[in-house]
Amino acid sequence: MSVVIAQWRGFKAATWLGWQISSNWTQPLLFVIYSVLRPLSAAFILVVMYQVISGNKAGTVAYLAFLVTGVAFWSFVQNGFAGFSNGMAEDRGEYRMLKYVYMSSLNFYVYLLGRALAQLGSAVASTLIVLVIATIALGLPIHPLDVNYPLLIGGSALALLAVVGMAMAYGLLLLQMVDSHGYGELGAAFLYVISGAIFPISVLPGIFAFVASLTPLAYWMELVRRSLLGAHAVRMFPALSDGDVLLRLVVTTAGALLISHLVFTWADRSSRRQGLIDRESNW
Amino acid sequence: MNRPSALTIFLKTIPARAHPRFVGVYRNPAWIVTETLLPLIGTIAMVYVYRALHAPTRYLGFVVLGGVLLAFWQNVIWAMATQFFWDRAQGNLELFVMAPTSLAAILLGMAVGGAYMSLTRAATVLLVVSLVFGVSYSLAGLLPALAVFLLTIAALYCLGMLLASLFLFYQREAWHLADALQEPIYFLSGFYFPVRSLGAVVAGLGSLIPMTLGLDAIRQLLLPGTPQLIPLAWEVLAVALQIPIFGYLSQLSLRILERRARQDARLILRTT
Repeated sequence: MSVVIAQWRGFKAATWLGWQISSNWTQPLLFVIYSVLRPLSAAFILVVMYQVISGNKAGTVAYLAFLVTGVAFWSFVQNGFAGFSNGMAEDRGEYRMLKYVYMSSLNFYVYLLGRALAQLGSAVASTLIVLVIATIALGLPIHPLDVNYPLLIGGSALALLAVVGMAMAYGLLLLQMVDSHGYGELGAAFLYVISGAIFPISVLPGIFAFVASLTPLAYWMELVRRSLLGAHAVRMFPALSDGDVLLRLVVTTAGALLISHLVFTWADRSSRRQGLIDRESNW
Repeated sequence: MNRPSALTIFLKTIPARAHPRFVGVYRNPAWIVTETLLPLIGTIAMVYVYRALHAPTRYLGFVVLGGVLLAFWQNVIWAMATQFFWDRAQGNLELFVMAPTSLAAILLGMAVGGAYMSLTRAATVLLVVSLVFGVSYSLAGLLPALAVFLLTIAALYCLGMLLASLFLFYQREAWHLADALQEPIYFLSGFYFPVRSLGAVVAGLGSLIPMTLGLDAIRQLLLPGTPQLIPLAWEVLAVALQIPIFGYLSQLSLRILERRARQDARLILRTT
């Protein structure tokens, strides 16, 4: 029991540390504004692009909702993948404390989960504000009482587990590099293209569309839209029922976690062998 | 022994500070990958958005040209505006200030080197996306577009020098501020759509950023028939005027903020 309590305390400390690192540079209100500016602008870029092409014709709201929901929920991946994987390099190079965490009695996975949770926490406000502003400004068909919350929360929990798992493996892989600045964003940018966040994955060329269909993100985006928009949702997988999409999300999440664990284990062993955990990177 | 004049030192400082960037263009393969792929992937994502909307090919050209300037804007933000922030963290800023030269010359050197560095990245975006997605341009507008492009880059890096002096006052928040200057600027400058779509007020506000009018002018020249914000000649004139305006403001700001930074001991303040 004492081991569980110790791990729980470590988890809480890691979460608090992650939150402090990402937010203690300014006042909370300013932090929220900065966190919201980027996704909100990204959403409005897509809205204007769409309106330029569609010319405000009738029936355009459904596709606008497709774009806005994708961008709004992308904050979780941006923070949970790019922010978190960068955070591991920062712990090593900038704060030079990764080695101490590694040596402590706290399970490394537990520490990383705590750090990741802080990143995801800061995405919540961003997602909510983008959704609220866009819904009001564009008249999107999102009604809080009609949202399928179990599907939204269940699907998101699964997908974010996969995102954190992938980010852990990717972040540890990045420790192989002396200077991995920008690589977290690069990984997230690649996922952005194949996730179905801003366009249906069927638009992608064959091989990329196939890869996209193997990741949990496309199914998560589909579930997010179906749960928020109901019958108004533009569907990427019209032939699949909600249950089918959820099943695919479960399977791809399990696959992503398994592969992530294998990569993580290899990268971990390799880092220890090469002495990369406490490598000086002249941050 | 003859001491070199202030002008000689100023002129020698520019290539001296630009040199590390010329060398750095190919020195760090890790940076080549990110600096090339980040704007490239971002551009490709927007191309697919237009494809999903069944937009005419002309709009793909819009995105490509936006992606080209995006590489420069990222360089201005991360390697100009925030540069003194990094230099301070690494202990270089105090050396620059103690050296018998001016920060203005150092900034100009950074701008020259940075522009060259971005050019190599932007050329990749232009070539790869244009070839892969079959985007074509008007050859007749190529030379004038190149001239407008050079004017835009000059104005952009003058703005970068202004931002660099302002960033002298930021600590850890510099990173977040630089982050916040990405998508909002892409939106205001109409990187991926005709800026005219934003309406007169927002587009007018966006025109304070040199890329906005420069990009609109380049699109008019290379993709004839695209919606224009204001007539081409006025756009070129406005961008040309922004060069001395931002240049002067950057020097003024640098003088004031350098003095204040000395008074507040911010030139050596470490944040990491």
